[in-house]
Amino acid sequence: MKKSILLILLALTTAAFGAADSAIWGNDMIPNILGYDKEGSLKLGYYFTLLQSTYFKPLFLGVLLGVPAVFALHYLVIGPMIFSHDRKKIYVFTVFNRIVHAIAAIAFMLIIPTGVIIMFGATFGGGTFVTACREIHAIATLLFIISVVPMFFMWLRWMFLHWDDIKWLMIVGGYLSKDKKPVPAGRFNAGQKTWYWLATLGGLVLILTGAAMYFQDFKLEILAENGISQIDFLRANAIVHNALGLGVLALFLVHIYMSVFAIKGAIHSIITGYKEEEEVEILHSSFYKELKDKNEV
Amino acid sequence: MSELSRLKFYCDEGRCIECDGCSVACAEAHELPSGINRRKVITINEGKIGMEYSLSIACMHCTDAPCEQVCPVDCFYIREDGIVLHDKDKCIGCAYCLYACPFGAPQFPRDGAFGSKGAMDKCTMCAGGPLETNSNKERHLYGQNRIAEGKVPVCAAMCSTKALLVGDAQDVSEIYRDRVLARGHGVQTNPYGWNVAYGDK
Repeated sequence: MKKSILLILLALTTAAFGAADSAIWGNDMIPNILGYDKEGSLKLGYYFTLLQSTYFKPLFLGVLLGVPAVFALHYLVIGPMIFSHDRKKIYVFTVFNRIVHAIAAIAFMLIIPTGVIIMFGATFGGGTFVTACREIHAIATLLFIISVVPMFFMWLRWMFLHWDDIKWLMIVGGYLSKDKKPVPAGRFNAGQKTWYWLATLGGLVLILTGAAMYFQDFKLEILAENGISQIDFLRANAIVHNALGLGVLALFLVHIYMSVFAIKGAIHSIITGYKEEEEVEILHSSFYKELKDKNEV
Repeated sequence: MSELSRLKFYCDEGRCIECDGCSVACAEAHELPSGINRRKVITINEGKIGMEYSLSIACMHCTDAPCEQVCPVDCFYIREDGIVLHDKDKCIGCAYCLYACPFGAPQFPRDGAFGSKGAMDKCTMCAGGPLETNSNKERHLYGQNRIAEGKVPVCAAMCSTKALLVGDAQDVSEIYRDRVLARGHGVQTNPYGWNVAYGDK
């Protein structure tokens, strides 16, 4: 698997050096120039320009300021959930889980801030610093690539939609009140499931779109067969990458808030593998019931 | 300067003989590394009798320069005379300008870390960059600054059939109009009138 990825990457880099039969500046450039902005063209150049010049930056700024602002308000008005740390602990994350999560966590802590710095590159003055961030953004993706596949499979079986998820969403996970009423959720709640799907499948799309932009000048038969030029493909990649990136940024901030601030001590579960019994009893009540039925608590 | 007095390129498709002299002159004058083509000659409707014509393409110095609009580090600037230039010391090589450009003008040398894209390179209309005019560094990064010396951009200066026109947009348009009135269109083409990249032309 890894070997084949490496081979593909290698093939793409060599393709990038063959300027003579470039997919962008070669013969494909001609229909692209003639077709631009005309009837029947995809108009992706126009849409990319519009989105990138007008919408992406304010949207990212909105998420970057808006999400923490909402959380600050939540923290002040409702406050964090505090569960007893004196009761028993329940083992929820295996060593393998925690290692895979740690690799992904390091990757995200590198990828997300550097991505934001690229988006607001002008504020940081561009040049060497932002270029370095762009390189880190790409290199840290290798860490994400090795963690995303095991992460997808190790948690997949608990991530499918369940009735609990609808109920969970109706009460916004119980975060709008301080009452310790059992919240309908299995091993993972609807919020965690959303984050899981966005981070794994969305992450995979982000990897592919990012790689396309990184390697830039390569040929894909499937595009040629469907009459899509390489430059239009890159434009679509940039649009999808930024739109998905916005979603990942938003849920990443949610993830940090939940684990570090909203539920006191919750972050320790992904370090030690153990969750507080009361936390499981309240926040993952269906899972707790299951454990009780099996006499595991 | 008014909106109308902007410097523009226009390639007279009735005169271009696809000699590639402009792109060779450009590459030589600016000592461009191989693989970087600021200017390119393309042939349209190749092999179709009566429909074939050639054009010399580079940065069109668009009035609404989409590259300038999308650049995340704001490295582009548009001179008062309409020449679209950029600051290579700011550029991060993300290639957004290439995605925005309808003409494939931005070029990327693979000289970054691990062979990734380095700072973008494109036609400067022989007007250099933001560095001190005619300094060694400006010459090294952006090529000759012929505009500062009162010279015509090298591609248009050496064009053997004077197909490639450059200058004030109105003057260029008048020259082209006179030519068309005198000889008609050589090929059945619509004048492409590249002024803005997107929107009403």
